[in-house]
Amino acid sequence: MNSRPVGQLDNMSNESNAGGPRDSRRTLVVVPGEDLGVSEGIEAGHGVLVVDDRIISTKQGRMSRKGNTISVDPLHTRYMPRPGDLVIGHIEGCTNNIWFIDIGAPFNSILPMSLGPAKVEFGGTRKVLDIGDSILCRVQEVEETHQSVVTMKGMGLRKIRSGALDELDPHLLGRLIGKGGAFLREMKMETDCRIVVADNGRLWIDGELSNILEVRRRINSISSEARVVGVDA
Amino acid sequence: MGGYGDVRMIDENGLRMDGRKPGDVRPITIETGVVPVADGSCRMVWGTNEAIVAVYGPMEAHPRKIQRQDRAVIDVAYNMAPFSTTDRIRPGFNRRSREISKVTKDALESVVLLELYPRSKIRVSIEIVSAEAGTRCVGLTAASVALADAGIPMTDLIVSVASGKVNDVVVCDLNKEEDNYGEADLPMGVLPNSGELVFLQMDGNLSPEEFKQAWDYNVDAAMEVHKLMVKALKGGDN
Amino acid sequence: MSAPTVPNLLRAHLSDLALNDARLDGRSKFEGRELKLETGILPRAEGSAKVTMGDTIVLAGVKFQLMTPYSDRPNQGGLMCSCEVRPLAGRHWEAGPPSPESIELGRVVDRGIRESGCIDVDDLCIIPGEKAWQVILDLHAISDDGNLFDAFALAGIAALRSAIIPAERFEVGEDMPLKVSKKPIMCSYHKVGGRFVYDASYKEELGGDERIHITLGDDDHVHSLQKGLKGIFTADEFAEIMEHAKVRCAELRKIVD
Repeated sequence: MNSRPVGQLDNMSNESNAGGPRDSRRTLVVVPGEDLGVSEGIEAGHGVLVVDDRIISTKQGRMSRKGNTISVDPLHTRYMPRPGDLVIGHIEGCTNNIWFIDIGAPFNSILPMSLGPAKVEFGGTRKVLDIGDSILCRVQEVEETHQSVVTMKGMGLRKIRSGALDELDPHLLGRLIGKGGAFLREMKMETDCRIVVADNGRLWIDGELSNILEVRRRINSISSEARVVGVDA
Repeated sequence: MGGYGDVRMIDENGLRMDGRKPGDVRPITIETGVVPVADGSCRMVWGTNEAIVAVYGPMEAHPRKIQRQDRAVIDVAYNMAPFSTTDRIRPGFNRRSREISKVTKDALESVVLLELYPRSKIRVSIEIVSAEAGTRCVGLTAASVALADAGIPMTDLIVSVASGKVNDVVVCDLNKEEDNYGEADLPMGVLPNSGELVFLQMDGNLSPEEFKQAWDYNVDAAMEVHKLMVKALKGGDN
Repeated sequence: MSAPTVPNLLRAHLSDLALNDARLDGRSKFEGRELKLETGILPRAEGSAKVTMGDTIVLAGVKFQLMTPYSDRPNQGGLMCSCEVRPLAGRHWEAGPPSPESIELGRVVDRGIRESGCIDVDDLCIIPGEKAWQVILDLHAISDDGNLFDAFALAGIAALRSAIIPAERFEVGEDMPLKVSKKPIMCSYHKVGGRFVYDASYKEELGGDERIHITLGDDDHVHSLQKGLKGIFTADEFAEIMEHAKVRCAELRKIVD
């Protein structure tokens, strides 16, 4: 039909089959602007655009094809909030009835008094949650203009009073959690720590200090491993 | 031909002082992830130019007055390090840097999908730590690689190359001497997949034929450089 | 420089760590990060160095200019050390005129080098009262993961020691190496969780209090001190870090050629 490299999907599978059994990590890495084939009969997922009946990648990442949907999972990314996400936020400021929360996203959130952890007297916001405090909360809504609201009404949502916080790039959370949560479960067992993995890449680790350090060591090794894998992707 | 007519930049075989043919670009190396604390980064060595670019964001835009309710803004800071040139550059406000920052921002805003990040800011910091000629091209090209490294969605990478004229010969990718004694300079920013342009400047004196030749050199060179950028972003073995 | 909110949990955790004589990244309190020094890496500078300490990366470049000696010191050239941390180096560094933090960095490094007397300004004079060399050391941060001070000081002295005076280009004689007779070395200590640690990372700086910078010369002579940020410290604390600084400076002096 035309001579543009439509067949990249096939090229890829040939390539990885050639080296023996297929490693799921070694999928095709694409770059912004790269042509991923005709759009006819294909659903455009995230990280791609349809331009002139062609699928174009908009990100540097691994191309994935699930059924009819082609998408690109970025190698690096910042957290983008979606309603329902469990996040760890830091209180950055407050007014008489609103807290401003840094959730590590391209825009900050608000926590209105009505969704706060306890009944607050008007003007008493800092007594309940002070600037610099950290909270486990859930994203309630994200408007199109990126105004977003978080809530602390819900099971397990609370102010974090002990333990330590750590970070992992959001796209690496999958590696930390493992299939069906197996890896994370194992780590919790072995280290005897409470570990809460929030969708914004922040982790709450609570337990004995030496165990916290062990968890951190393991998390750091995931990060540094990812850097190396990122290089030869 | 001006005061420099007697400086011979092209030899009898049509080769340039550094041995390149008129259409050749200087050697280029590209590396990503060079600023560990940044969301994305790129180091590009192009001849003896060296640019280091870091991208931070998208993050909440401050101060509030720069926020756009419907899209993100890109904040570009292009700067030449004091030790990047033969004569030291005094740090501080500089009209040339301001202009280059602005045209770089205009070019980058043409490819980044800004509407995905309302009220946000993407910070692009371009530092030229060694300058030869064509630093704005290196800065813009490296910035597009750094944005890709940061996972920022964009319709295409940007490759920026300059061609010009020395001793009445049109040559691609001017080096320092050619830039100093040259008679024209035409930097362009090309989208390699569509061939469209997002950045264009020119100064000097070119005939319509020379202009056409310089334009074609730039587009051809952009395709060459694009291959290297893709290789760097894919990790070298793709 | 914008001041990010310091999470209370981070401060609490750092105190916990301090009580158990541990650090965020598993180092002991006076242990430095992995360090790498490269020189001669910038083609346009007359002397240059790059220092990598963990994720902190800095460059230093040396340039020379001709100056007219000051009338009260007609036989002397000049030495200037300038630092501007650009927004490249971190989320919290912003564009605009140099911030007080940038200026403090430059001045503290400058004092250590100047007061050690490693560069003889009389040597920089070409024609008394008329012509002399001005040596300019520019410090440039690439990536700030804490302790820019030590990285800058080390890159600075290494860059100066690799510098060649470009006399031929200025038509005042033959090119020659800049004479740098000593090796002043800086060691910085941050109060984190109530005790001083060496070579703090960005997170430790963020959740820490005051910092102390010590520059020692070849014979352990003190050449510059600086206490920065809010905080109170005791004479005993100072004596302890001073003892460590002597040992560490001697180690670092060996890696500077």
